[in-house]
Amino acid sequence: MKTKIIIISLFNLIVLSGFNKFAYSGESFFYKEINLIGGYSSRDRWIDKNGMMNSSVGFEFYRKYSGDYGDFLTADLQVRAAYDSTKNSRQAWGAEIHNAWLEYKFSQYAKIRGGHFAPSFGLEPVLDTHSTLLQTLAEQDIGFNKDWGIEMRGSFPKFDYEAGLQIGSGMSIRRQDDSYLATLRIGTPQGRNLQGGFSLLSGRTLESEGMRTFPKNKLLFRDAVNKKRVGLDGQYLYGSFLFKGEFAYGQDNKNDVLGYLTEIDYTLPSHQNIEFELQYKSWINDIHTNSSDEPTLTLGATYKLNQSTALRAAFLHDFGMMDIRPEDRFVVQFYFLGA
Amino acid sequence: MKKILKTLLVFAVLILFAGSAWAAVGCSLNDPDRDVKRIFPESTGYKTTFVTIKEKGGEALKKEIEDKLKDKLEPVYESIDVPYSFYIILKGKEAIGYIHGVNQKGKYGGIQLIVATDTKGKIISFYYQKMSSPEAGKFMDTKFTSQFNRLTLDDFIKGNLSMNDPSANSPEDFRATLRGLKKNLILLELLLQK
Repeated sequence: MKTKIIIISLFNLIVLSGFNKFAYSGESFFYKEINLIGGYSSRDRWIDKNGMMNSSVGFEFYRKYSGDYGDFLTADLQVRAAYDSTKNSRQAWGAEIHNAWLEYKFSQYAKIRGGHFAPSFGLEPVLDTHSTLLQTLAEQDIGFNKDWGIEMRGSFPKFDYEAGLQIGSGMSIRRQDDSYLATLRIGTPQGRNLQGGFSLLSGRTLESEGMRTFPKNKLLFRDAVNKKRVGLDGQYLYGSFLFKGEFAYGQDNKNDVLGYLTEIDYTLPSHQNIEFELQYKSWINDIHTNSSDEPTLTLGATYKLNQSTALRAAFLHDFGMMDIRPEDRFVVQFYFLGA
Repeated sequence: MKKILKTLLVFAVLILFAGSAWAAVGCSLNDPDRDVKRIFPESTGYKTTFVTIKEKGGEALKKEIEDKLKDKLEPVYESIDVPYSFYIILKGKEAIGYIHGVNQKGKYGGIQLIVATDTKGKIISFYYQKMSSPEAGKFMDTKFTSQFNRLTLDDFIKGNLSMNDPSANSPEDFRATLRGLKKNLILLELLLQK
């Protein structure tokens, strides 16, 4: 109860009223975020979440620190107070810390970042999936989208690199059973119509349920999972179409695993605030075992009311795996991010 | 259904306190470090600053921009509360140029036009950060983009432009490029330099 009161009070005070005057002050932004989700699932009936994403209110504070000789430090803090109606009233509210990092720039070739951010693997570090209903492979592949740790990154004329060392726990800050996550991604520069990346991962990650940082999300197993991965990802913009693809292969403990994602986004030329997305995603937990595949097919649509507000809808078909029956899910979302 | 209604009720109360709604950030560089060094190899750093039409002059400034552009700003994508990112390029402590990007509606989707100028507003370099067109390669070719080097806002206002449409079937994207570049230089002058 105490936690709930603190979280709600904090957000009411900070997010929803007093910070308007800091909306943007030359070097910084302060944005409010509202994320409302509702839908129907053939497995769970009426739902107010999509995967691990709950309805929430939150904020993002982004700032560049500059001296006489230019920018040297960047900070980003993105926090949500999320509400889960499936839990009892004492446990319904939780704080989710998504981005929480400081980055110091030594030069174009070397920047060091510390805090909570996306591991350097696959599409996740180059796509902004913070608000979208369609997600990358990261949840199935690594188990989470962001983790706590440090990272070195930089850009050369022909390629970008990033290498991270994180604690292997995801949203909550916990380390046990020697958990860690080491990742490396080398990719073509962003801003090209054709982009690609090659990634490596080695780690011992903890498996947890939910996106909460405070109170800590639920740890599913005490033992960490030994992970090894190699990955490829790519994007290609052609006219009104954006093609995305991601592939990962490796081991979870002794099992050989494999996953891939293909997605086509289409922007309506006549109404460019409307976009359709079609995604097929599959994760195979053991390629030597039958029925260990977890494929999903999602058809999504986005309607942008303006640069701050979007309405989204998605229909997902989960083909089911082993003894889990297939699921059809329809979800709608109202999303606002603005000052 | 009950849990959805419960959730909506909770958030409806919170939204009541949410106050006014301003827009999210406009076009910013994907990798300013690389772009700055490529265009201004002599630079030693850069400073990023965010400015909106609303805070700089509001509706009166919007009218001034539209008069210079000879076109209306589009209310959904060019609203006055969009913060624009300006990169002030430094050599030591001294400013030697600017880089600024804008979003522009194209035939097939959004176009991002990035312009680098000297401190007097003369174009040093222009490139597309994003170009949604089957003929994107023709537009992004430096044979086309370099034709804009050395032009100023005055050249766009007076129509001193001699370049031809590089595409076979996308005259809308050529026009969008000219509008976007003009808008970019107007915003640079009125939001940053004035």
